[in-house]
Amino acid sequence: MRHFEHHNARSIKEAVKLLDHYQGKAKVNAGGTDLLGAMKDGAVPAYPTALINIKTIEGFEYIKTDKKSLRIGALTRLADIADSPIVKEHYNLLAEAAYSVGTPHIRNMATIGGNLAQDVRCWFYRYPDHIGGPMVCLRKGGRFCSALAGDNRYHSIFGPAPFSAFPGPNDGNDGRDTPPYPSAARKGCFAVNPSDIAVALVALDADIVTSKRSIPAHNFFRATVMNWTVLEPNELIKEIRIPKQPTIATQKYQKFTLRKPIDFALVSVASIVTMANGSCKDARIVLGAVAPDPVRAWKAEELLKGRTVDEQVAAEAADLALAGARPLMMNSYKIEIAKVLVRRTILLT
Amino acid sequence: MGEAYRFIGKSLPRRDAAEIVTGAALYLDDLKFQDLLHGKVLRSPHAHARIRKIDKSKAEALPGVRAVLTWRDIPDWKGGTPRKLRILDEKVRYVGDAVALVAATSESVAETALGLIDVEYEVFPAVLDMDSALKSGAPLVHDEFPGNIIPAGTLLFGPNCLTGLQRGDVTKGFEDADVVAEGAFGYENIPNALPPESVGAVAMWEAPDKVTVWSTTQAPYMDKVILGHVFNRQVDVRSIGVHVGGSFGTKLMCWQVQTYATLLSRTTGRPVKVMFTKEEHMAAFALRVASRIQARVGMKKDGTLTAIQGTWVVDSGYYSFTSQAEVAVGLGELMIMAQCPNWDLKNVIVATNRNASGSTRGFGGQELKCSFIPLLCLAMEKAKLDPFEVLKKNFVKPGGGYFWRDGKWYQYRGIDFSKAMNEGAGRFGWKGKWKGWLTPSAVNGAKRTGIGVGVHGNADVGEDAAEAYVQLDYNGRATIFLCAAEHGTGQKSNYARMAAEVLQIGLDRISMSPADSLVTPFEFGPVGSRGTYAIGSAVINAAEDAKWRLFEFAAHKLAVDPQDLETTDGSIFVKGNPEKCLNWKALGNDRTILGYGRFEPDHTVCNCMMSFVEVEVDTETGKVSLLRVVLATDVGQVIDPQGLEGQLNGCLGSAGIDSAIFEETILNPSTGHILNANLVDYKWRTFAELPVIEQVVLETPIPTHRFHAVGVGEIATSPGPSAVLMAVSNAVGAWLHEYPVTPQRVLKALSERQRAAGGGK
Repeated sequence: MRHFEHHNARSIKEAVKLLDHYQGKAKVNAGGTDLLGAMKDGAVPAYPTALINIKTIEGFEYIKTDKKSLRIGALTRLADIADSPIVKEHYNLLAEAAYSVGTPHIRNMATIGGNLAQDVRCWFYRYPDHIGGPMVCLRKGGRFCSALAGDNRYHSIFGPAPFSAFPGPNDGNDGRDTPPYPSAARKGCFAVNPSDIAVALVALDADIVTSKRSIPAHNFFRATVMNWTVLEPNELIKEIRIPKQPTIATQKYQKFTLRKPIDFALVSVASIVTMANGSCKDARIVLGAVAPDPVRAWKAEELLKGRTVDEQVAAEAADLALAGARPLMMNSYKIEIAKVLVRRTILLT
Repeated sequence: MGEAYRFIGKSLPRRDAAEIVTGAALYLDDLKFQDLLHGKVLRSPHAHARIRKIDKSKAEALPGVRAVLTWRDIPDWKGGTPRKLRILDEKVRYVGDAVALVAATSESVAETALGLIDVEYEVFPAVLDMDSALKSGAPLVHDEFPGNIIPAGTLLFGPNCLTGLQRGDVTKGFEDADVVAEGAFGYENIPNALPPESVGAVAMWEAPDKVTVWSTTQAPYMDKVILGHVFNRQVDVRSIGVHVGGSFGTKLMCWQVQTYATLLSRTTGRPVKVMFTKEEHMAAFALRVASRIQARVGMKKDGTLTAIQGTWVVDSGYYSFTSQAEVAVGLGELMIMAQCPNWDLKNVIVATNRNASGSTRGFGGQELKCSFIPLLCLAMEKAKLDPFEVLKKNFVKPGGGYFWRDGKWYQYRGIDFSKAMNEGAGRFGWKGKWKGWLTPSAVNGAKRTGIGVGVHGNADVGEDAAEAYVQLDYNGRATIFLCAAEHGTGQKSNYARMAAEVLQIGLDRISMSPADSLVTPFEFGPVGSRGTYAIGSAVINAAEDAKWRLFEFAAHKLAVDPQDLETTDGSIFVKGNPEKCLNWKALGNDRTILGYGRFEPDHTVCNCMMSFVEVEVDTETGKVSLLRVVLATDVGQVIDPQGLEGQLNGCLGSAGIDSAIFEETILNPSTGHILNANLVDYKWRTFAELPVIEQVVLETPIPTHRFHAVGVGEIATSPGPSAVLMAVSNAVGAWLHEYPVTPQRVLKALSERQRAAGGGK
């Protein structure tokens, strides 16, 4: 690891000030499970001049409830979220998602804020620079995404993240196609967002409160070639707010990986389905690791509403959820797996 | 179970157990050196290029940098087989190939210096796989090797090194066959056996021509031999082995990193350490060879093999030291498991623009069998035969024989392993679970269970010479002088046990020399399961020799013949008359007794491992889960029960069974970068998902060893991968012929089956 300056911030204000001071050349560090690995590998496009340690800021490690919501401080560790009785009882989808991350060591270090702000996870982007230098992917000055001509078995089946922001798939305008990536499909970055927490938060309709604003989770993840989330360079996540969920809803998080522990999701599905008198009253289904952002399966949700859920309906919903998929050379199997997960998640409720 | 032993076969703690678990054991990176410099390697971004220009002036000017070496700055030292590969060359041949070496006062200075070296490349088209390498007019990885074909044979195995199998009359063999199967099958996922400790070396040069090398190899004396060779025999090499953090056959040699450290020390006059990072270890050290056969096999209705004919192509990466040796050993091992009268199997070794292949446990045999058994499965399916019965029937038995690596025919004089195979099948419940080819043993909704079996055996157990000294002193103590590094198996403790059993003194009275080529005699290294028979016999012979000399000394004093004497716990006495005795103290403190032991190679016995596996396949997602493994073997005599159990439990990882499930090295097809040179994307099984592993270990005394034992550690992995392929094929009802059985491959096989059945979606 190369030399960098290190600051222990004592307040959000101080951290923001330091970020401003370094003009984009500093990185915020909490659990360090993502950032330090990327730095050791030399995978970050610009090696940071300074790290700003925010673990030294007091008062951001908590899980609280009020009348309307669950509130989680950004520095809360994933292990504590996975173990929390409140989370397990009323937001078990989030507990399952948190438990599915990495290993006990990682969950004991990693924070929820860090998980949401984690860097791009793609083996071209993360290629260690001491084995012949970085791979010049689109994010590192290349002309095309390396996944187009390379081994893309883990990449997006819903098209690339574009060069600049556009109205996202999760804007809440019901009935629109999923997902609405631009038709000029080959220009952009095909890395997927593998965050388990991201998928859970979009399903739970959470808000992400930062040092500047409160952002609905579905608007927080808006990957472009320039950015991975909408976080600005001097913006810090402070809190996650999750509205109370209907008590009769069934929450599920399913994650497909090659190995049980450690692995990032190959495909994941978070679902909240409310059944009443044998028919579906409401459904929220979100897919992860299939696109640059979590993907809400609007059409599948619509199909389910008012229907009696059986094998046939579940299969139709699964087909709808993946209807917009456009696989690359090596990843069409992810569509099959995603369909199975959607179908199973519906039938489990 | 023959004789009653005091140490052999007993549950005893390893000598180094406490120091390993408390962190006191010293591995290479723990050693301290005065004025140590740190070496780093600048690596190529291209799979194939010529270095047009290197400007190292900026790097040399960086404070703390002591040396920057490029291909122009080093002697014409070469490695590989044949010995053609320069340590640094004008040409780079894979992404990650060494371009320049830097020594500096700290690792971070060295790293920074690497970034200051300017290199201009002339980029050439690359050949990243066997098919493109073998095309006519393909770019040449080495100008010396036309067609990208590397010459066959290695001098190490003599002038008739086995390079193919020719025997009998295959035309007649196919006429005699009731079924013939044909096709191309490969084991091409080049897994990395990936020991926990990366490779590294510290070199200390002494002008004009001496170097001492500490390193991570499992075979320290061979470092002296191999480096001597690489350095054109111009350098006197002293090699020292330490605790090794695992090897799985891959650290038979670490010559790359040793030569880098040596060159940098030679330039700077200071000790230099080069430790590969995990990523370098995964992307720029050594992988398994890739293997593919295009072959035909003929078989009778009763499972008797009648003919095997074809070509075995081995992809060696950009070079290898050991591919020819792996081919020789692999061919012999195929003969051991397939006792067939008629053979015509040729071999071709191919060079490609990817990271080197090198020694890995299974050493050619695992690779060849993982390619051959899928072909054999087609024949067995045609003949409607149970694979367990066919594998058992065709494995070598007393009276059988095989060609071995030196090209000679060996009459087998070991034991019949059928009994162990039968007991393994019984434990597994094979007969009850086997429902026929491409038929699951159980179906539970989308989940289907399938079973498979594989077998492996090698005659490496007695390969290569070993030497040891055993010294006795008047305190009733013994010292073993042996060039053995402890690479994790606990074998060093077992050598002490064997000496203790011969000398009948407590284990606490036995010391072992460091593994230092200046102090010890020759030893080849614990590879090919040779630790027990080859190395063990050298130690036993040395202990016997020392004991005899001790008896000669005592015989004078007791006025008897030496052969009438025995010794226990430091007391020498007359057999049948223990009153008449003499203590070892009689030697006096001015005398030691030195015994010498040598083992001469013996290829007439082999070991055997049969693996039974049960998998569950989710036919909707394509996910394969390994449920249960039963390993069956006969070791003659257990030396170290816990050590053996550990070795057998190692069947999964280290490029073993899991190389059929998820372990693979992923080479980017468009650029040649290894994309998964990290522990997230390289799928190494974690402890959290171990399957049930059961072991059936028989002890039928094997005549060749003093304690009737044969080594078996290496081959725990080898029969597994093909058994998994068989099990998954049976579970899903369609052939899977590629390793590993990823979800995409399983789903593809299922959809093809459905299409072929003309139904479904």
